[in-house]
Amino acid sequence: MKHGTKPRPPAGPELHGLLAEFDSPGALLTAAERVRDAGYTKWDTHSPFPVHGIDEAMGIRRTRLPWLVFVFGVLGCVTGLALQWWTNASDSREFSFLPAHLQGYAFEIGGKPLFSLPANIPVIFELTVLLAALATVIGMFAMNNLPRHHAPLLAQERFKRATTDRFFVFITAADPKFNATRTHHLLSGLGGSAVESVAASSEPAHLPRSLIYATTIVICLLLLPPLFVAKARFTKSAEPRIQLIRDMGNQERYKTQQVHALFVDNRAMRPQVPGTVARGDLRDDAHYYEGKVSGDWATTYPPQLEISESFVRRGQQRFNIYCAACHGLGGAGDGIVSQRALARDTPGWTVPTSLVNQTVIERPLGHIFNTITNGIRTMPPYGDQIPEQDRWAIIAYVRALERSQNAHLEDVPVELRPELR
Amino acid sequence: MAAAVGEVDNTIDIPGQRAALILGGHDFGSLTAAACAPWEAPRPPRAWYVAFTISVALLAVLGAMIFYLVFNGVGVWGLNNPAGWGFDITNFVFWVGIGHAGTLISAILFLFRQKWRTSINRFAEAMTIFAVICAGLFPGIHVGRIWLAYWLAPLPNQMGMWPNFRSPLLWDVFAVGTYATVSLMFWYVGMIPDLATFRDRAKTKWKQVIYGLLALGWTGSSRNWHRFERAYLILAALATPLVLSVHSVVSFDFAVSVLPGWHTSIFPPYFVAGAIFGGFAMVLTLAIPARALFGLKDIITPRHLENCCKILLLTGCMIGYAYLIEKFMAWYSGNSYEGFIFRARALGPYAWAYWTMIGCNVLAPQLFWFKWARTNLVAMFLVVMAVNVGMWFERFVIIVSSLSQDFLPSSWDIYHPSLVEILTLAGSFGLFLALFLLFCRFLPMIAMAEVKTVMPHADLHAHPHAHVAPHRAFDYNPDEFDAGRGGAAARRSPRGPS
Amino acid sequence: MNPNMPQSELSASRDFRRPAARVAGVACVVGIAGLAAGVASGYSAGWEVFFRSYLLNYSFVLSLALGALFFVLLQHLVRAGWSVSLRRLAEFAAGTLPVLALLFLPLVIPLWKGMPGVWMWSAPDVVAADPVLQAKAAYLNVPFFLARCAFYFLVWCVLARYYLHQSVAQDTDGQPRRTLAMQWWSAPGMLLYGLTVTFFAIDALMSLNPHWFSTIWGVYFFSGCLVGFFAFLALLVYLIQGRGQLASHITVEHYHDIGKLAFGFVVFWAYIAFSQYMLIWYANIPEETVWYLPRQGDTWWLSVSLLLLFGHFVAPFLALISRGPKRRPGLLALAAVWLLLMHWLDLYYIVTPRPSGFAAPAAPLHLTDLTLFVGLGGLFVAALVWPMTRWSLIPERDPRLPEALAFRNI
Repeated sequence: MKHGTKPRPPAGPELHGLLAEFDSPGALLTAAERVRDAGYTKWDTHSPFPVHGIDEAMGIRRTRLPWLVFVFGVLGCVTGLALQWWTNASDSREFSFLPAHLQGYAFEIGGKPLFSLPANIPVIFELTVLLAALATVIGMFAMNNLPRHHAPLLAQERFKRATTDRFFVFITAADPKFNATRTHHLLSGLGGSAVESVAASSEPAHLPRSLIYATTIVICLLLLPPLFVAKARFTKSAEPRIQLIRDMGNQERYKTQQVHALFVDNRAMRPQVPGTVARGDLRDDAHYYEGKVSGDWATTYPPQLEISESFVRRGQQRFNIYCAACHGLGGAGDGIVSQRALARDTPGWTVPTSLVNQTVIERPLGHIFNTITNGIRTMPPYGDQIPEQDRWAIIAYVRALERSQNAHLEDVPVELRPELR
Repeated sequence: MAAAVGEVDNTIDIPGQRAALILGGHDFGSLTAAACAPWEAPRPPRAWYVAFTISVALLAVLGAMIFYLVFNGVGVWGLNNPAGWGFDITNFVFWVGIGHAGTLISAILFLFRQKWRTSINRFAEAMTIFAVICAGLFPGIHVGRIWLAYWLAPLPNQMGMWPNFRSPLLWDVFAVGTYATVSLMFWYVGMIPDLATFRDRAKTKWKQVIYGLLALGWTGSSRNWHRFERAYLILAALATPLVLSVHSVVSFDFAVSVLPGWHTSIFPPYFVAGAIFGGFAMVLTLAIPARALFGLKDIITPRHLENCCKILLLTGCMIGYAYLIEKFMAWYSGNSYEGFIFRARALGPYAWAYWTMIGCNVLAPQLFWFKWARTNLVAMFLVVMAVNVGMWFERFVIIVSSLSQDFLPSSWDIYHPSLVEILTLAGSFGLFLALFLLFCRFLPMIAMAEVKTVMPHADLHAHPHAHVAPHRAFDYNPDEFDAGRGGAAARRSPRGPS
Repeated sequence: MNPNMPQSELSASRDFRRPAARVAGVACVVGIAGLAAGVASGYSAGWEVFFRSYLLNYSFVLSLALGALFFVLLQHLVRAGWSVSLRRLAEFAAGTLPVLALLFLPLVIPLWKGMPGVWMWSAPDVVAADPVLQAKAAYLNVPFFLARCAFYFLVWCVLARYYLHQSVAQDTDGQPRRTLAMQWWSAPGMLLYGLTVTFFAIDALMSLNPHWFSTIWGVYFFSGCLVGFFAFLALLVYLIQGRGQLASHITVEHYHDIGKLAFGFVVFWAYIAFSQYMLIWYANIPEETVWYLPRQGDTWWLSVSLLLLFGHFVAPFLALISRGPKRRPGLLALAAVWLLLMHWLDLYYIVTPRPSGFAAPAAPLHLTDLTLFVGLGGLFVAALVWPMTRWSLIPERDPRLPEALAFRNI
């Protein structure tokens, strides 16, 4: 009443249809059967809850919604499978024409195959259900013409009880069999409590102006974050990114080359005191620490080392840890890293040097020592990881490998020959 | 209008008759009025204000704790090296579990044609959504740098990286995300007809506009109802396996590992049973005060409460079964690590938590074998509170005891929650209750349209003459059925006599 | 009380007694012949093969009876109305349990006599060489095993007889208090049922590979029982209606619900089977994967595994998901036959592969598997049909029968 719905005249210039009211679902059911039998097609009944049996009484055909749901369920299933295959298991080299951020990223986790179907089932299932459920709801809304902003019936004061305790039959004027008098007569004869006409609403329903303004403002505000994201995506800046929260990347300490007023030279980092050597930093034995004797590559082991079997075994152990991955357990340059790289055609892969060929056999000890310490070509330096003594032990073991890999029968002591097969 | 509880006892069982689910002699109109009363009242009861104030205070604590956590890092929690999960994941699993009851009532009981669900399904669904919101909070804040939590989503990015789909933690993202979406839709779709009732009963312009927008222009058209019912049925059929999958996926977080006490194949169904158990306890925790506070005793009747108690007993026995089988297999497997962890749970540093769990989850519900406990509100409330506590401790025991004592005794460490964690847990209850109280006040708490379908007045198709006096405790009896049976006999069997 | 039932409809089911007696007689003869053929073929193939085939087919018929017992208990537990006209058939199926208890004896007599049976833990020399089995000896030993089995069968027989007899007695006196009594016992009955079925599954099937263990095993066996039972129920109703019985008592609506339950348990089975498989696959611990290895190791068993995946889940899932097939009894019966076949295959997949340490026979599928299927299946059918010659096919005076007759799906 308060919100401006005026009682309509019984038959306005634009008649939308006729509405009959009933008290009980049973009366509605009977009425619906009669209207159906009278041959009307564009009509409907309205009730506060789904009345059992009204579908047959009105002749409503079973909805096709389940098929839509099934199709979208299958789509979700396929999407889940494809997504997981694409992101985790596809070979990005075959899709190198795509931008990098769209290519798959194959990473091995816990020894699981890249394409692990049992592990993919949960996400496949969830996406199946998600898409099917979305299709159910959106499909139901679409088929029911929901949401609808306004319906002439809703302006009818009497109709307000359709969601509480009254039952209605409504026949639209658009029905081919509709005739204001005869239809009114039919509806009156159905035993309902009232029959009234519904005018097509000429004035559209209004939303409160303040609501429209508020919605507009909210939508504009919601657009801001994506705009900022887009700006960040397409502009470049020399400024460091804003860090609201201090992270480990931004600790309170001085870094190299920073200024500090405490010291006379204003340098935060301090040089060594002249004329001193830090503990353990004295490396004045060129033979032992650099593999050089008077400027040339050393051809002997440093005198302080005792070349014993345990020393060579130590070298074997270190070799198998640090070197064998690339150079192979036998030193032939066929380690598993290299094998895998070759099997995958990794671009730019250099096959590791065989340590048991003539070139290395003839190489002075000091040269090999220097190679381990500082690296060579694509081989990285190992000086930081392997102490000097172990480097020499590795060299001793490499020498042993060279002997064993190029050995002849004569090299084997006579008493051990029977053990050979 | 509301009849006092106990005036009509609808918990008596008479074979051949079905107890009335709505008491107090309501017809459609008075039922609608009763269900709308909490919303139509000029102001809510005083207890609502008290509860809301406490909830909002707790919510503020939650906000402060999250703020503190984000600016200082997860170091403010009591996590240590072996126990990398503590209150955070315990709370997550606890709340997700609570969030299962609503969909169970709406979907599974719907598929099983349990008509009594109509009185409680709406607020149970609302509770589900609020519990899932609380649940989603914890994994979100436990990742440390929460501003990078979006890395969990499969979004193309400049790093060229994708999430690892073989990780159960990622399955969680999909499972909980799907569950939140589907239960929200389920809740909202079911609420549309009742929002339309609110729209049509609204007295002020603003209420008409807001509820009018929310009701999407629903007119109660039978053609719409037809598709609506189909859609509801399909959603129920989709939500049923979904609700099972969600807690199964949560259980996978633990069970795919090789940690003793976590890796065992019964975890998925065991977690699902536990979730339903905990969820129903929370439903009763809220229903018992709510029905008194909002005058809904005719709609949420003793029979509804009794049925919930029976489900609690059933699911309580199921998890008792799971505890038993787990313990038995720990011995039977001959795996000494597995055997150790189960001894350690019962006798080790967390024995107090373990025995709290056993007492609250397995022993307390056994009271429900007795009908007086199923119909006595005080006994019922005590048991469901015990179950709420017990189910939280179940997750705590599983997570913390297995983590803190794993394979290497040298790295064992006992986990102590910090004050921040305890206050965060308390705050999550504030979030949950505040949302729930707002819901009680502003949205249809009773699924009016659905309740009307199970009232005797609506049942006119099967026996059109049977106008049962609605004040009776039973709406059905075989004598009245007699005349209506013609319909059944007339329906031919698909295969007649050959 | 149900004074409304026209006597003509009830007497219709009495006409069924003569054909039922005929069916029971034929099934009995076929069953005994099948058993004899099984013994004959087992004699040539070796007793180990014979007992495995026996256990396989025995588990099959037992699972149907156990599924039926669950159905009866469940209907009382939830005070179901729709299913009353189906309940008597389930009571008959559960009523075969005493006969099945007798048929279990051939499996345990070798244990009693100290002969090697199918369970390798029962052989003292195997246990003596195996520290794992020694650790389990407190549970896996012959006297305790026999005592447990006796307890399981005692519980099942008592429950099955109780529910059948109460229900039948109600046919004569129409006492509603019988319904109340059956309801009262259903809850503790269900508890006992759950524990006995679980531990039976562990004892009889899981301990075939005595090193292996899985906590979900009882649920897995249970889910298979229910798939088998609902398929069997659909088929049984279809066949009985084919004889012109129960035409107005069991309608398309009941078929629809049996179909829904079968569909539901197919999905439940898949859920349980997947949970067990995925967790073991993911953790990849040798002591657990040992069960799946022989089941995926060669082409035959890999094919069986895949057939289970597609035949026990994917195909019935797609076949039963829509409303149409569930409401067409012919189609539903067809699906039921397929599901029973798949349920048998599931048990075959459980029972037949030998654990490591057991020599696998040359052929994975043996003639005894078939002959004993006929034998035990025949005796099961005879025990199922025989009560139909004495009692009505529906609980005539169950107070909720009118509800079942008026039942309609929404």
